[in-house]
Parts: sequence; C-alpha cells; structure tokens
Amino acid sequence: MMLTQILVSGLGLALPLLIAAVGELVSERAGVLNLSLEAMMLTGAFTAVTGTVLTGSAWLGAACGLCGGLLVGLAQTLLSVRLRADQIVVGVAANALALAATTFGARLLLDGDRGVTGFERLPIPVLADVPVIGPVLFAQTALGYLCAGVVLVTGLLLGPRTGWGLRIDATGEDAGAADWTGLPVRRIRALCILLTSALAGLGGAQLALSEVHAFSDNMTAGIGYLAVVAVIAGRWRTPGTVVAAVAFGVAQALQYALPAAGVGLPPAVLTMIPYLVAIVAVSGLAGASRAPSCLTVPFARA
Amino acid sequence: MRSMRSTRRALVAGGAVLVALLAGLALAALAGAGPATTIGALAEGMAGTPYAIGKSLNTAAVLMLVGAGFSLAHRAGLVNVGGEGQLCAGGIAATAVGTTLPAATPALVGVPLTLLAAFTAGGLWAAIAAVLLVRRGTSEIITTLLLNFVGLALVTLMVHEPTLLRQPVTSSETLPQSAPLVDGAHLPLLGVERSPATVAILLALIATAVIGVVSRHTPAGLRLRALGQSPAAAARLGVRAGPTRVVALSTAGAFAGLGGGLLVSTAPALLAEGFTSGFGFAGLVVGLLAGGSMLALTAAALLLAFLTSGGINLQLVAGVPSTTVAIIQSLIILLIAATATWAAGKKATR
Repeated sequence: MMLTQILVSGLGLALPLLIAAVGELVSERAGVLNLSLEAMMLTGAFTAVTGTVLTGSAWLGAACGLCGGLLVGLAQTLLSVRLRADQIVVGVAANALALAATTFGARLLLDGDRGVTGFERLPIPVLADVPVIGPVLFAQTALGYLCAGVVLVTGLLLGPRTGWGLRIDATGEDAGAADWTGLPVRRIRALCILLTSALAGLGGAQLALSEVHAFSDNMTAGIGYLAVVAVIAGRWRTPGTVVAAVAFGVAQALQYALPAAGVGLPPAVLTMIPYLVAIVAVSGLAGASRAPSCLTVPFARA
Repeated sequence: MRSMRSTRRALVAGGAVLVALLAGLALAALAGAGPATTIGALAEGMAGTPYAIGKSLNTAAVLMLVGAGFSLAHRAGLVNVGGEGQLCAGGIAATAVGTTLPAATPALVGVPLTLLAAFTAGGLWAAIAAVLLVRRGTSEIITTLLLNFVGLALVTLMVHEPTLLRQPVTSSETLPQSAPLVDGAHLPLLGVERSPATVAILLALIATAVIGVVSRHTPAGLRLRALGQSPAAAARLGVRAGPTRVVALSTAGAFAGLGGGLLVSTAPALLAEGFTSGFGFAGLVVGLLAGGSMLALTAAALLLAFLTSGGINLQLVAGVPSTTVAIIQSLIILLIAATATWAAGKKATR
C-alpha cells in the first residue's frame, strides 16, 4: 500500500522531470548544456497556469506552457549558439531571471487566484486495476499520457542509432569534423535546444496543470537542475537517464509519502534527500563515463 | 590589444548595468509606478537615511566576500556556483559557536571565534565539491549548485529542531529561529550615529585587498592563473592540479562562509530561514562583473547592495515587487555573457 503510494506520487513528480531530462539529453549530445532547464520548466509552469486562467482551456494552457519553455529556449539559442556565450553563466542567469520574472508576473497577473482545475486523471479501464503497476502507470491525466508518449517518441526517433541521432552525436562529439562533412552544426544545435525547451515547457505544464493544479513562486524548486543531473548520472544514454529521472522523482516523493506513512523524519531532511541522491549519483555512477567531447564548447568556423 | 580589451570590458559592464536599470524602470512602470516615483523610492531606500546607508554597507560586505572568493576560484579555472550553500554553512557554524559561548565573553575573543568558525565551515562545505572534482571528476558547477539546496534545507532543519539550534520553545508562538548570539559575538558597530553599519565592510575590504594582492603579485597567484589558463602548461611548471584546485575552491567557500558569519552576527544576530536572501547569487554576479579586478569588485558589490536595499523600499513605498532587483541582476549577467566574445576581442562569427 505504502509502496504503491510512494510510486504513484513518485512517478507523478518524475514525469515532468523525465520529459525535461529526455529533452536535455538531446541537447547535451549535440554539445549544448542547458542549465536553464529550470528556467524553461518554471516559465512553462507559469505560462501554462496563466494561459489556462485567461482562456479557460487546459489544453490551450498546456500549449502556452510549451511556448513559455520555447521562449527561454530561444534566448538560450541566441546566446549560446549565435553569440557563443558561456553556457553555464547563461544557464544560471536565465534561472534567476525566470524565478524573478515569474514571481513578478504572478503578482501582476495571477494575484489572489492562482489555482486552476487543469487536467483530471483518466484511469485506463482494466489496466488501472492491476495492483501496484495499475495506479502507478495507467492513471495519468491526458497531458500525462501525452508527455509519456513524447518521451517515447523522442527516445526512439533521436536514439543513437537513427540517422538524426547520429547527426546529433556527431555535432556534439566533434563539431569541426561534423561541419567538414557538411552538417549544419549551429542549426542542429539550435533545433536541439528548441526541442529541449519545448519538452521542458511541457514538463512544467504537466507539473502545474496535472499535479499541483496551481502556480506558486519557485514551484519547480530545483527539478530542472535534477533533470540536468539525471542526464549526467545516466551517462548520456536514454535508458540510464530514464532510470535516474524516475529515481530522483521517487526521492522527491518521499517527502510527501513518508510523513503520510507516519515516519517521523523532519521535513527538511526529506527535502535534502533528492539532492544528496543526485550528488552521489553524479559522482559515484558517472565517474567512469565520458561527456560528449564538445559539451559546452561553442562552435565557430576557424 | 590589451587596453582595447579592458576598454571594451568596462564599456560592456557599464552598458549592461545601464540597460538593465532601464529595463527595471520599465518593469516598475508595468507594475504601476512612474519613473519619478520609482527613482525616488529607490534613492530613498538606497541612501535616504543613515540607516539605509548602513544596511547597504553591511550587505555590500557580504557580496564582496562571496564575489572575491568566486574570483579567486575563477582564476584557477573553477566556477563556484555554491555561494548560497557556503553562506548557509558559515551562518550555521557561526550560530553554533555564537550561541554556546559564555554570556560574558568579551567581543575581542567572541567575534574572532565566531567568524573563524564560519570561515572554516564555508571552506569545508566547498571542499566537498572540490574533493569530488579532483577524485571523481565531477563538475564543481553541478556539485556546488546541488549543495546549495542541501545547505538551505540544513538551515531549515537547524532552526526547526529544538535539539539543534532552535531557540527554547516556550509557547506555540515561538518562531523557528535560533536563540540570539551572545553579546560578545555581535559584530561591533562602526560607530557612525544612527547607522547600523558594522566593521563588516572593513573586514571585507581587507579580505578583498588580500585576495587581490595574493592572486596578482605572489607565486601562489601565478600558479592559480597558470592552472586556469592552461592546465598543460601549469603541469610543466610543476603545479599540482589536484591540491591547487582543492585549495582554490575551499578558499572561495571559506570567504563565502565568512560572509554567512557576518550575516548572523549582525543585528538581530540570530539564524533564521532565508537569512542568505539570495546573496550567494548576487555575490556571483559581483564576481562575474568584476572580471578579476578587485577595484571593480568593490564597486559592483556596492552597486548591487545599494540596489537591493533600494528594491526593498521600492516594494514598501511604490508597491513594485522587490523581485525587480533580481530581474535587473540577472539581466546584467545575461548582457555581459552575450557580449563576452566581443569584449575579449575575438573575431565575430559569420
């Protein structure tokens, strides 16, 4: 019973993290590190809630969430691909900007009424009744199923063995050689960042519209960073990234599930757990792996 | 070439600050405050009273310490994004020492002990990331960043648990914060009338000067720079990369930790949630803006500190959310990052 509960809320929190991490994996394989993932998710959550409030439609809200993520992605592309700015500096600053700007925006646009109905859970008949697995996997919201589908399609279409996947890997491993063979390095990188940001925005929308049903200041609270770390801990491969993202989601869910189950740990200790897990995962597991050679190195023709 | 670069750097820093401030004015207008109201409220909060000036100077001291530490590590090619967590570690250690000292401790003993604890704790906190970097090759950017979240949660834990640092709980209205530090651990005031300014700003000026001299005019500073600019060349010089990196990052953390110590030993002299107020991030901005010059660092710290105080007043008087200042800060960094390639005098992209 308790295991099911932890897994249900764990997957609930893991899904936004997962879709963002799978997107970030694509960008990093192409050689761009988006620490701004946090900004993309938070902006996505904010625009999703604002869009839902303004239009009254959760689907239009989700679309706004995707566009909110894209907006941050456009800025990241302009700065890190076109202007060759330091990707880490841009990421950290973008996150601070998104945090401040969404807080500011929420004061202006959402004052008082920050809750939304969002999406209802849609259990799939029969499958949802399977013990443990049923409620965990087959009782998501419509947006949740969409996110899961997007994760699957992205993983399959851009995997390391597809043509597109190979081009992306070539861009990230040796941008110079990729350029030599005629690949449009900067365009590939730009597209990858935009894809990442759209997915992260969708992840933010999923968090706000399917899980929390509201916008609150700094509601992503580090999920974006955890998604970046999930890529590193997953050694820049899809299966590893998925496992890491779900593990971080479950670690986050513990802070709600353990008190409910009567385990008397202080809440602050529970807040720390995902980050401690992430530090251990990234330094313990990722030690033997190797990042794409051109990660964080901007490309310009010599 | 060199002078062209420094001219461009100064132009960029000044231009970025100007553009970001204008954007801030526009945002304030969006929130319903005209430019005149905004500037009035900002100026009032920044320097309208001796109280406001004193507050700003105390904040500037913390930003200088975080920024100077950042610069030092940056010289060695390390990016310390963990200012917030290191402030937390320093603040916790300072509170632990400052609340357990005997009540009659003279300030001449109490203050140094408290600050030393903060300095050490900040250094050890950063050393976690440094050791993981050297031993396991984990990027210090990722670990210092994640450690921020752990540090912030640690402060929450400390002030909520009566067995840790929470003040004795006497009623349901006892706030979750630590007991006040003993009088002997309070930072002495500078002694300007009606001003809360403490000796913190003097300490920060000395620390910044020391870091500036060490990193520019000593063999140790040269080794740091060699490591930062070319690890291969540094190895030929006989610089041991591992220990040098650990020392550089830990020192950066120690100075940030000292900043945390200054924060809790200033009135009301206690540890509470959110005592870092985002100064870890603002300190990073200061370090980035300064680009290695300690003079620029001091100027940047003063600017951001006065802006922060002004921002609080902006919210009180004009009803403009104080996050406007955070927006201005992050815009400054983005603008500087965007023009870095140009400022470094590199060839423009096609």
